[in-house]
Amino acid sequence: MTRYVSILLTFARACLVRDMTFRANFVLECVTSLGWMAMNLAFYLLVFTFTPEIGLGTGWTKAPFFAFVATGMIINSIVQALFMPSAEELTEMVRTGGLDGILVQPLDAQFLVSMHRIDFSAFANGLVGVGLLAWAIPRLPQPPHPVAILLYPLLIACGVAILYSLVIMLAAATIHLGRNQSLYDFWFYLTNFSRYPAEIYSGPWGGPLRALCTFVIPILLVVNVPARVIAQPLTGQGGMMVAGTVFAAAAALVISRWVFQSALSKYRSASS
Amino acid sequence: MHNSSQPRTNASSAAGDPVIEVRGLAKEYRVFDKPEGLLASVTGLFNRKSRVVEALRGVDLQVEKGEFVAMLGPNGAGKTTFLKLLSGIITPTRGTATVLGSVPWERTDDFRRRFALVMGQRNQLWWDLPAAESFRLHKEIYRIDTARFERTRDELVDLLDVRKLLLRPVRDLSLGERMKLELVAALLHEPEVLFLDEPTIGLDVVAQHSLHRFLAHVQAERQMTVILTTHYMKDVAALCKRLVVVTEGSILYDGSLEQIVDRFTSHKIVTLDLDAPPDPAAIDRLGFPCEIRGPQVILRIDRTRIADVLPGILRGQGVRDVSVEDVPLEEIVAEMFRSGSTAGTNGATGAPR
Repeated sequence: MTRYVSILLTFARACLVRDMTFRANFVLECVTSLGWMAMNLAFYLLVFTFTPEIGLGTGWTKAPFFAFVATGMIINSIVQALFMPSAEELTEMVRTGGLDGILVQPLDAQFLVSMHRIDFSAFANGLVGVGLLAWAIPRLPQPPHPVAILLYPLLIACGVAILYSLVIMLAAATIHLGRNQSLYDFWFYLTNFSRYPAEIYSGPWGGPLRALCTFVIPILLVVNVPARVIAQPLTGQGGMMVAGTVFAAAAALVISRWVFQSALSKYRSASS
Repeated sequence: MHNSSQPRTNASSAAGDPVIEVRGLAKEYRVFDKPEGLLASVTGLFNRKSRVVEALRGVDLQVEKGEFVAMLGPNGAGKTTFLKLLSGIITPTRGTATVLGSVPWERTDDFRRRFALVMGQRNQLWWDLPAAESFRLHKEIYRIDTARFERTRDELVDLLDVRKLLLRPVRDLSLGERMKLELVAALLHEPEVLFLDEPTIGLDVVAQHSLHRFLAHVQAERQMTVILTTHYMKDVAALCKRLVVVTEGSILYDGSLEQIVDRFTSHKIVTLDLDAPPDPAAIDRLGFPCEIRGPQVILRIDRTRIADVLPGILRGQGVRDVSVEDVPLEEIVAEMFRSGSTAGTNGATGAPR
């Protein structure tokens, strides 16, 4: 384990050296990313000039909702920084045969495929998320319970694990398909569902969609559960959600591992 | 996919055992034929025609410790597929293989620490970073202790004279410079087996010569087992005593370089430099296949008759200089590729090496 941490730090160092080599690009990526976040936040502020709450009686008033948004930013920035660059590169590596170089190295292939590229500029959003959370918490109707504060990092990790599992399964599909340039688009569409409170999915269409995105592809648990734990009072139902999220994260990791390994056994490499 | 009776010894190969042992190794791919035209492409969405391509057809091979084996063959012969199987990148359709006592496609870390693969057409160093950064990463991945890493790196860097390139981004290097650094990276963990897939492709003669000297030196010093695939006879002649010729997924010849000449040619090339262009009729009367290039005459004479006929030829033609050579290896191998030699698949093996 310590070896993998040490290698991850070496990857991080190499990526940082590379990012610093192209400083203007690094700054531009940070600015673009922060600009997009600022536009999103401005949109939500605009929404709250028309309504005091997202869905009457849901508890998602302004401060809790911004805690929700901040939680989403933190989770997404971790995934975008640590996993997405490598997963996106995998599609090209499969097409060109670059994956060969990874498979001959004495390390877990999934680790190498998932984490050999780190995009430090994506952490910028996470830092904004932490700032937004720091703004929102003192303004919550009720301060977070100490247990909730302890559970929050665990549930953030679970959210990251669920998203990572989806990313790696989509990336593994590349090995079967040979080319999968829609990986990023598909991931974006999927994670879009996780960006809003689960309460918005109601009615004849919303109900089944909510069930699908909770129990089949547990994308609704990613942000909703940690955000709810930190921003809303803990209830008995909350305990079930926490347990369900931990279970979903563990199951997602196991399933994605199996999918990746089975895809790898079908790898045929590109002609030289 | 692989045979259940596959040996599963992961321990080091016992002394005297072959380092590489391959039995009936076959690899088939299903490929889809894409018909031409828009209508055919749309039809192909619903009804794709596929066929099976045999990249390797039951190859047998044994390689002993310290051998430097060249694998020669035309494009698509199955050379790279063979190396990918031995490296564990892909799994075979049939057959068994062990490298250093391990089954390659089980991809154990212990096995992967003991070999290296260099592909001439693929870059494994980080493109935007200096090679020194890739070497540092390599040190962590292969768990090389610092003292050993620095000693090996310095030795390899000095042998290839690339110290001044270490801090330059890889993308700014020439192909030859990149290949030298790829080799340094591959050898940092002191592999026992090295697979080289067309390492000299696209390199100029100076870079080729430099790599030849380096590889010959390192292989001899470390007693490394090396399999080299190449299109260039220069690589083979400079580095290897043993040659394996592959076409269409089968081994046509496996033996020494000298034997291939004896086995596949019956004549030698006699080149005569004359005082003046000869009378073609007089040359024809000698009765040997010939080619006349101004004052130079090239004869193909049965090797068993050379000693008998050469004195007579030298007496009668006003010869200033003469040379007697074997048929160039390129010519022999090209003829083997063309004819798909019937000397026997996996049966044309040379004498024990």
